[in-house]
Amino acid sequence: MLTRILNHRSIDAVLLALAAAVALAWVTDFALAGVSFGVVWSGWVTRLGLLLVALALVLVSIVIASTRAIALERVARTYYSRIFKESRRDLVEKQLQQPPPALEQHRFFKDLNELMRQYVHRFEKQLGDLEQTRARAEVRAHQAVSELARLRDVVSRLSEPVVAINDYDEVVLANFAATRLFQLGEESTEQHAIAELIKCEALVALLTDTRSRRLPSQRTSEVEVKDTAGGSHWYAAEVRSLVCTGATDGDAFDHESHGAVAVLREISDQKATQRQHAEFVSAVSHEMKTPLAGIKAYVELLVDGDAEDDETREEFLSVINSQTDRLQRLIDNLLNLARIEAGVVDVNKERRSLNDILEESLGVVAPAAERKSIQLASDLSPLHLSAQIDRDMILQAAINLLSNAIKYTLDGGKVTLRSRLEGDSLRFEVEDTGVGLSEEDCEKVFDKFYRVKGNQNMAPGTGLGLPLARHIVEDVHGGKIEVVSQLGQGSVFRVMLPAVK
Amino acid sequence: MPGKRVLICDDDLHILRAAEFKLRRAGLEVTCAHDGLEAWERIQAEKPDLLVTDCQMPRLDGLTLARRLSEDPELADLPVVMLTAKGFELARRNETGCENLVAILAKPFSPRELLRCIEQVLETGAYVRPAAAI
Repeated sequence: MLTRILNHRSIDAVLLALAAAVALAWVTDFALAGVSFGVVWSGWVTRLGLLLVALALVLVSIVIASTRAIALERVARTYYSRIFKESRRDLVEKQLQQPPPALEQHRFFKDLNELMRQYVHRFEKQLGDLEQTRARAEVRAHQAVSELARLRDVVSRLSEPVVAINDYDEVVLANFAATRLFQLGEESTEQHAIAELIKCEALVALLTDTRSRRLPSQRTSEVEVKDTAGGSHWYAAEVRSLVCTGATDGDAFDHESHGAVAVLREISDQKATQRQHAEFVSAVSHEMKTPLAGIKAYVELLVDGDAEDDETREEFLSVINSQTDRLQRLIDNLLNLARIEAGVVDVNKERRSLNDILEESLGVVAPAAERKSIQLASDLSPLHLSAQIDRDMILQAAINLLSNAIKYTLDGGKVTLRSRLEGDSLRFEVEDTGVGLSEEDCEKVFDKFYRVKGNQNMAPGTGLGLPLARHIVEDVHGGKIEVVSQLGQGSVFRVMLPAVK
Repeated sequence: MPGKRVLICDDDLHILRAAEFKLRRAGLEVTCAHDGLEAWERIQAEKPDLLVTDCQMPRLDGLTLARRLSEDPELADLPVVMLTAKGFELARRNETGCENLVAILAKPFSPRELLRCIEQVLETGAYVRPAAAI
């Protein structure tokens, strides 16, 4: 109770007022003459006494005020140090909302406290927002990292080799396929100059050139890559500029970075086909020039009047005629073969009698056999051999085989045509007593334009008869053709066709 | 150029016949060979004044024949005229390394031009190709 009274703010005002009253009394030298108390005030004792009382009151007031101040300071210090030590941020504001009553009483502290609370509140809010932002950014960064990892994985596993370079012509990306192709090894390829790593000069030039261009560009070019065994592989390299805006590699400033990326597509097969095609065209034109050379030579001799008698003229004209026929046959065979291979020709497969077709083919080649006095024998199966075949094509194949046999058999020899049913397949074969083929020739004889060395004068042919026959039998009818031969004795060409049930 | 001996070598009988016919009518003495090996043997037996040969032949082809001749000191001066269907593919004389190859004529060839070429070579030792027709 006493403490409460003493602590009250107005107590020192009261004491000071009392002291003032006493001082006033002393000053005014009040005359309590005739005081009914019966106390006689002795002059200076009274005055001293009054002064002392006044001083005492002032002193007490000061003491009380000091004590209160000290106590307040202690309360404040305790209060604020507790707040500052508080580790839980959410409690700080709460504590600021409940200052000790001792402090609350003082307007100054109350206002200061309120100000502090407001500031703390604001900072708390900002911190909270920042934390949320940070959390969201973390999530986004995590997503970005996952996505980047996924993309890198995808690019890594692409079957096409991919290589990318940066501003400084250093390799920044090389997927598995590229690493394998250019033998880049296990160590990291990052930040190595491309010219050091990739030995294919054409590709390096393409990349660095595209990278150095100001405007974004794209080019495709064929490049050759050699492997460790010296083998050559051709790729179509599609090279593009890379322009990325944004900070990269920890740079503080946004800038545009340039680079280039190359994606390689293997075209070795295409190249091989192109080469084969070029070789084919070359072979064809060569084949055509031979009969043409004959025609040209004799025509010119006739034009120049070099043939002075009828006999010579007839000889020349006959050669021109035969060479023209030869050229025509060549072109026909070529066209036929090309059309059949391209699938342009309508294939008319019908149920047919094989023997009928074979008989017909014998009729076609009979004159040629007769000219060389070659015996043309037929040994066709008595059974009705039925198959799902295209009449024109099989006829052509049979004629080609027979005519080859006749060509490569010397005068007076024998050519036999046989047919049989064997299991589920129909077989026919052409046997001759001709010059035969070596083992090597047997393997190559079905290749386009293959001519057995040394036999060229026997039979000026086109070199396309057997390839055409093979194509007809194997590719169009799903059959099989093969040859067995004995050099110097003769050959047997066998054809197998699937029968119709 | 009467009396000059020419050896023609080609595996194509018609070409052989036509060339021989033309050259004989011009007064040249002509012998024939059917492949490079036969030509080589004939040259060894009796050296002609000029050789006309096809490029692609069995047993010994024209280019190898020409090279063999150029390596033989006695035969290196024999001028060789080559006929070939591989006209523009065949390298120039300097690239083939054969100094004796004085002319390369593409097939189909003109017998007229062949004769002119032979006459020029026999006379001057060189052949000047006429301006090509467009």
